[in-house]
Amino acid sequence: MHRFFLVFAIPLTLAAQYQNNLRVTWIEPGGKEILPAIDQFENSLGKLGVIQASGPVDTTGHPFFTPLGTNGRACVNCHQPAYGMSVSAASLRERWLATDGKDPVFAAFDGSNCPDLPQDKEKSHSLLLNRGLFRIPLTWPPRNADGSSKAVEFSIEVVRDPTGCNSSPVYGLKSPKPTVSVYRRPRPAANLKYVISGAQNIVLKTGMLADRDPENGRPVAMNLMSDAREPSLMTQAMSAIMGHEEAREAPSRKQLETIVAFEQQVYMAQVEHTYAGPLVDPSGPSGLGAAALRDRPPGVLGDNDFDPVFGLFDRWKGKDHYPASIARGANIFLFRQFWLRDAAHINSIGLGNPLKRTCATCHNAQMTGQDLSAGWVDVGTTNYPTWTEPGTWVESSDLPVFKITCNPEADPHPYLGRVIYSTDPGRALISGRCVDVGSIVMQQFRGLAARAPYFSNGSAENLREVVDFYDRRFDMKLSEAEKYDLVNFLGVL
Amino acid sequence: MRIACFLWLLAAPITVGQQRSFVACPIVRDTKTVPCFLAEYQGELYYLGIQQDITAAFHPPQLKHEVLVEGRVSEGPRVCGGIPLTPLSISVVKEINPACNTILPAEPGIDAPQAPRGAGPASYRLAEPPPAPDSLTGPQEFTVLYAFNDDFVDFAAIATVRRAAGYAVKIGASAVKVTGYRATTLLSNGEHLVEKAGLAEKRAQDIATLLRGSSVTGVSADWRKDPEPGDGKTDPTRRRVAITVIP
Repeated sequence: MHRFFLVFAIPLTLAAQYQNNLRVTWIEPGGKEILPAIDQFENSLGKLGVIQASGPVDTTGHPFFTPLGTNGRACVNCHQPAYGMSVSAASLRERWLATDGKDPVFAAFDGSNCPDLPQDKEKSHSLLLNRGLFRIPLTWPPRNADGSSKAVEFSIEVVRDPTGCNSSPVYGLKSPKPTVSVYRRPRPAANLKYVISGAQNIVLKTGMLADRDPENGRPVAMNLMSDAREPSLMTQAMSAIMGHEEAREAPSRKQLETIVAFEQQVYMAQVEHTYAGPLVDPSGPSGLGAAALRDRPPGVLGDNDFDPVFGLFDRWKGKDHYPASIARGANIFLFRQFWLRDAAHINSIGLGNPLKRTCATCHNAQMTGQDLSAGWVDVGTTNYPTWTEPGTWVESSDLPVFKITCNPEADPHPYLGRVIYSTDPGRALISGRCVDVGSIVMQQFRGLAARAPYFSNGSAENLREVVDFYDRRFDMKLSEAEKYDLVNFLGVL
Repeated sequence: MRIACFLWLLAAPITVGQQRSFVACPIVRDTKTVPCFLAEYQGELYYLGIQQDITAAFHPPQLKHEVLVEGRVSEGPRVCGGIPLTPLSISVVKEINPACNTILPAEPGIDAPQAPRGAGPASYRLAEPPPAPDSLTGPQEFTVLYAFNDDFVDFAAIATVRRAAGYAVKIGASAVKVTGYRATTLLSNGEHLVEKAGLAEKRAQDIATLLRGSSVTGVSADWRKDPEPGDGKTDPTRRRVAITVIP
């Protein structure tokens, strides 16, 4: 009798919790809810805090929460408060199970590996379910903002296509509308005052004019998207509605403004660590918690030892096990030197190769850890030989591989030369420049515990894999203890 | 190393003021603080500079690439084991050379010169480059310098463009003339290196675009098709764009 009870009671209990979690955490489009001004959501490392700085938000009819296109999706599908205003792969797998794959987040257009695959099959959505990756179809060749043609410095071929989309006669590179499909994680629609700040008229990394906000002609920071293709929150919202939501008619200006106003007042960060306890504490580090993000000024350089990227953690040194480990991790991030090598748009912009520095050299923007300068960098996550994928001859990887061949008159990629194999050419698909192949705009470090996996291609399943990648990539020679501390540090941001 | 010493014995003595223009792999020497960058020519080691911030005048070379070194032997002791060159210009050769991959470990007794910033985070706030001085009046020429065969507008060049743009806007310039040049470098071995065709135009057009994008009106771009000659002494000063601001 006892055995019978245990066998059936445990799954029932888990199912009840699971349903409860779904009800609490996943916001469906078109719902009628009030988002509180301050909210918390549990995750594997503690709790994420989400602040609506303008006060409670009524989702009824709100364009961020209302489908504006034809596939039933709204912005909230991919930007869920519980998951750091992004989505985790685990949450997507839960949605698949809960809805039998019918949730609009799995829309054929970009929620599957390719629209021409059988949409009822789980394997047709493997990149989204396993790695949290949405398909990003990019017109090839790229064009300027005014629609004029753009000089492209390289040719692109598809050398491996496990999804079939890049060689599809309808959606592929040789289709009537030539398109390159890459697969990327959605970025958090929160803490955005930091992401859009720091604009310079001339981009330090390129020596070229920054893109302009079409609304006012002012330069933009170019740190919003992984390839910096959209200059502003307004253009991003428009593009997302016409693309991800498959709208047939453009949203109204009022709808766009409402979306942007909402996005600009959402702040999120981890507020509690399972073992270290509450992170927002007057005697603790000043940069932790969502309220700190709400209250601090944007556009401040944090690569310094007096007012660093995420504040000073000195007060936690010598404390209990976890706070002390987190403080050591912060110290490693700020002070642990290593040879930064062969990273295009870091070593190649006048800093020298190699550069003996620290994590904070590149992840220098206060509060987010992005680069304050327009931050696309080829750190090596998508380009051979440092990519996080298996070799081209291994068929088990899910991602396409492209062969990029630079024109003889173009400047080559500074560390990979004129022939490059890449799972995502990144910024180069927008700029058309060879030096940009594999360069991805850095993303913010906040709310990481809520939104695994990591990197733009979802290749790091957890924070330990992020740390391991950097350890391998830059031969940092991190000890096990240092890795442990770094993971704990990243987990409280 | 023995061969290098032998060559050094055979080579003519190095004198202060002697010009050195050569292409070689850079060598990185680690130190207790920041790394030094060196290059070897005819068996002798020359000191190029140390790792600094992006705002510094010296931008280090890059492993995986050869470097064109153009400098004059200066007085004073060796630095990081190398003979110092002042003034000095270095240009990273664009094509990859995997053989350029030498990092020497730190050695006792070999220290990098004192640097404002070490290898960790900064201990000071980075200063913005100063604008054009208020005392400027009348027609002014601003010169943007380039590395060899390069059109990259680096930090110093951006600062020059900003100064020129600021001055042009302030005085309401009637015209701003941009003239691009490409040049020749005479190497110490007598060989001539000529910058690629089309570079003068590219440099001029790029700077004109930056000025127009900085609210400057009346900008015109021109360029010299033929390369400037090389004399093995002042060659880096001729790889340039001249911005002439006319009231």
